[in-house]
Amino acid sequence: MSLQWRELEKEVVRCIKCGACQTVCPVFKELEAESTVARGKVNLIKAVIRGDVEPNENFSERMSWCLACKACVENCPSGVKVDQLVIGARQKLVEDKGLPFLKRMIFRIGLRNRRLFDLGLGMGSVFQHLLFRPAANGQGMLPRLPMGLDKRRVLTPLAAKNFTNRSSEKNKALNEEKTVAFFTGCMINYVNPEIGDAVLKLLQNNGSTVVVPKNQHCCGTPAYVNGDLSTAKELAKATVDTFCDLKVDAIITACGSCGLALRNEYFEILSDEPGYQDKVNKIAKKTMDIAEYLAQKGLRGELKQVKKVVTYHESCHLGRGLKIKKQPRDLMKSVPGVDLKEIKDPGRCCGAAGSFSLSHYDLSMKINKYKTDDIVNTGAQVIVTGCAACMMHIKDGLNQSDNSQIKVMHTAELLAEAYKEES
Amino acid sequence: MDAKLVERLKEIVGSEHIFDKYEDRYCYTYDASFITVGKKEVPELIVYPGSKEEVAEVLKLANEYKIPIIPRGAGSNVSGGTISRSDAIVMVLTRMNKIINIDRKNMIAELEPGVITAEFQTQVEKLDLFYPPDPASKAFSTMGGNVAECAGGPRGAKYGVTRDYVLGLEVVLPSGQILNVGARTMKSVAGYDLTRLFVGSEGTLCVITKIIVKLLPLPEAKKTMLAIFDDLYKASETVAQVFMAGIIPTTLELLDNIYIKNIEDYVKIGLPIDAEAVLLIEVDGDALVLDKQINTISEICKEYGARDVKVAQNEKEAEDLWVARRSAFAAVSRVRPTIIGEDCTVPRDKIPEVVKKIREISAKYNIIIAVLGHAGDGNLHATILTDERDHEEMARVERAIEEIFIATLEAKGTLTGEHGVGRAKGKYLHLEVGKEGIDLMKALKKTMDPNNILNPGQMLGE
Repeated sequence: MSLQWRELEKEVVRCIKCGACQTVCPVFKELEAESTVARGKVNLIKAVIRGDVEPNENFSERMSWCLACKACVENCPSGVKVDQLVIGARQKLVEDKGLPFLKRMIFRIGLRNRRLFDLGLGMGSVFQHLLFRPAANGQGMLPRLPMGLDKRRVLTPLAAKNFTNRSSEKNKALNEEKTVAFFTGCMINYVNPEIGDAVLKLLQNNGSTVVVPKNQHCCGTPAYVNGDLSTAKELAKATVDTFCDLKVDAIITACGSCGLALRNEYFEILSDEPGYQDKVNKIAKKTMDIAEYLAQKGLRGELKQVKKVVTYHESCHLGRGLKIKKQPRDLMKSVPGVDLKEIKDPGRCCGAAGSFSLSHYDLSMKINKYKTDDIVNTGAQVIVTGCAACMMHIKDGLNQSDNSQIKVMHTAELLAEAYKEES
Repeated sequence: MDAKLVERLKEIVGSEHIFDKYEDRYCYTYDASFITVGKKEVPELIVYPGSKEEVAEVLKLANEYKIPIIPRGAGSNVSGGTISRSDAIVMVLTRMNKIINIDRKNMIAELEPGVITAEFQTQVEKLDLFYPPDPASKAFSTMGGNVAECAGGPRGAKYGVTRDYVLGLEVVLPSGQILNVGARTMKSVAGYDLTRLFVGSEGTLCVITKIIVKLLPLPEAKKTMLAIFDDLYKASETVAQVFMAGIIPTTLELLDNIYIKNIEDYVKIGLPIDAEAVLLIEVDGDALVLDKQINTISEICKEYGARDVKVAQNEKEAEDLWVARRSAFAAVSRVRPTIIGEDCTVPRDKIPEVVKKIREISAKYNIIIAVLGHAGDGNLHATILTDERDHEEMARVERAIEEIFIATLEAKGTLTGEHGVGRAKGKYLHLEVGKEGIDLMKALKKTMDPNNILNPGQMLGE
């Protein structure tokens, strides 16, 4: 069943072409052509529907120049869902022309098969030392050879053992009041398991027993935003099936994109999937970001002093997507010793945007430059954010600008320091 | 397009500032107006010059090759003033975006055309100075565009429009000559007032490369109130009475029931959805006199039929009201997908009769016309809510617009208060300025742009 371009028309005509998106689109600020701003993209889609523009390579390239950061959506007087339109256009392009080879390999073969994915990333963690050298101040690693990745680029190494394999399936709370499930997402599972450890510690110290289902997999967002709807569906169904019958009070995520998928986007992704509506609804209602969950009652127990000057970056999908902006700040401020300095424009996209930073590295680093400068200007020792993909990109920017002394942490990691045992 | 010409243009502005792909060029076939020309008018090339010298070189070449140039800022005008044509080069001035200086002693500022209006206002307000013109698009419109269109805004009632602040300009003529007009002083009568001729010339006479504006001291405080009416006619009658009491409000906005209901549905701040009209009024100035002014206005509103008057008690309440006002277009855009905002402007005392006439026209053609006016300066934004895909309805819309124009001129008003003529109103301009007016304007255009390369077809037709 093919999605017709015309299906996008209803949303497209809502654009009154006012041009308000020009003030907020990070991509447009770098590329300057009208075709790269939200208004341009919407009108190119409209042109395809009218038959004025062919959905060719040039069109496809312009559709790829979108971070799905939702800045234009939030700023749009008519509330046009530009990100949904661009994703819709990408889906149509994938249906017509298929995915590019690399993305096809990753999404169709890698992501769809959890064990192969585990194996691939596991092997990666063994061999990566041959290919990468450590970066300054212990922050990440640099490629030794130009293997399709930019040699300047700092990547976080793959974990030796992924999070779901190394943690127990059930982790008892200190004073059990609730039981929650933890949806780790790929970055925490394979790249930053220490964030997962912090999430467990926080939940256990705050009265929640944590279930970590072993057979959980990718939420599907990377496939979805790149227009690979069929892979996104497979992954969404797998996630829903794994989580919907668990006897838990909440499903905790620690990544804005995963949270947004489970809470909002599955309605769209699985809209024509028979038998899934109730299940999606059930999951959506239970899904909460770790900061949102903890902020309901505030941090409990004895909090140790964490003497740090920190600043906070709002990841696009956590901030604009799930509207979680206040909770992480409130929690950090409740930890003794934490001095939170606000950054200029905390919601400006860091340029990572998941696979965008892989396919458009130079552009994503130009966008990242603003974030790096703004972080440095706060004078903070630590930049905190609620998304591991942002963390990797921000780390890269800090390293390349000789600011690797500024640490990059997940909100959960900073908060967990308040529960650190004396060594 | 001649390959040699493209090469020359690349040398002038740099190849990274030239766009020649069809998909990129296509995106200049529209602006913020309801006009879209589509694939038949995709321009030949897009250039982004970075300096007045580059602008001059490009214009010289275009003049030599007789290729039309369409100057453009953010493309946020609503009269079709930057719509492309198939034989043209679109020249975008957004790279020239520096505030050259803000001179506190003389209270003037000098800036490039690509500076964003709101960004400029933020910078001058940091120095306790004030640049009042506030078009609805100020967050993204460029100052060059504001000057070329002579943009207005709600504050016009007290503070006037862009032309009232432009002291001087640096412009490039189609010949490539760079010309400085006007002065840096409040007074200057040296020759014809070319500055005024260029302000609002809609890109048909010159390309603006530098702007000198005067600034005011930033008012100390402001106060906002809402007067609620059960009768639209009475609300519109009240407008002139406020001025007659000797008070000039910063803004005096008239919103009809269609706007009230849709805004309330959208932002939910407790607007009276059963009211036929509200007047949203703001006064600014010395904090000590504002309460007195608000009281006087409240009394006048009640005397002329307001059922209730609410004064914002704090900044939050005032901001809520302005958020509601700013979301007006978005709110009604949810009713129908196509919004055509007219900007006919009439003397204040004629507002009641023209508002009544608009209501009659709306009924006659069976189309939705909402009214949201900057009533303080007689600028009635009759807003037509329609659907561009419905051709039968669009034909009725066109007839309704013509009748609104006629009603406006009969009330001794003007066809456009602040949006400009552009493509949208070119064919009606003669109704207001007469054949003699058109002939003189055409003669001026021919003198300054003998090859008709600057934004041809705009305002005066071909």
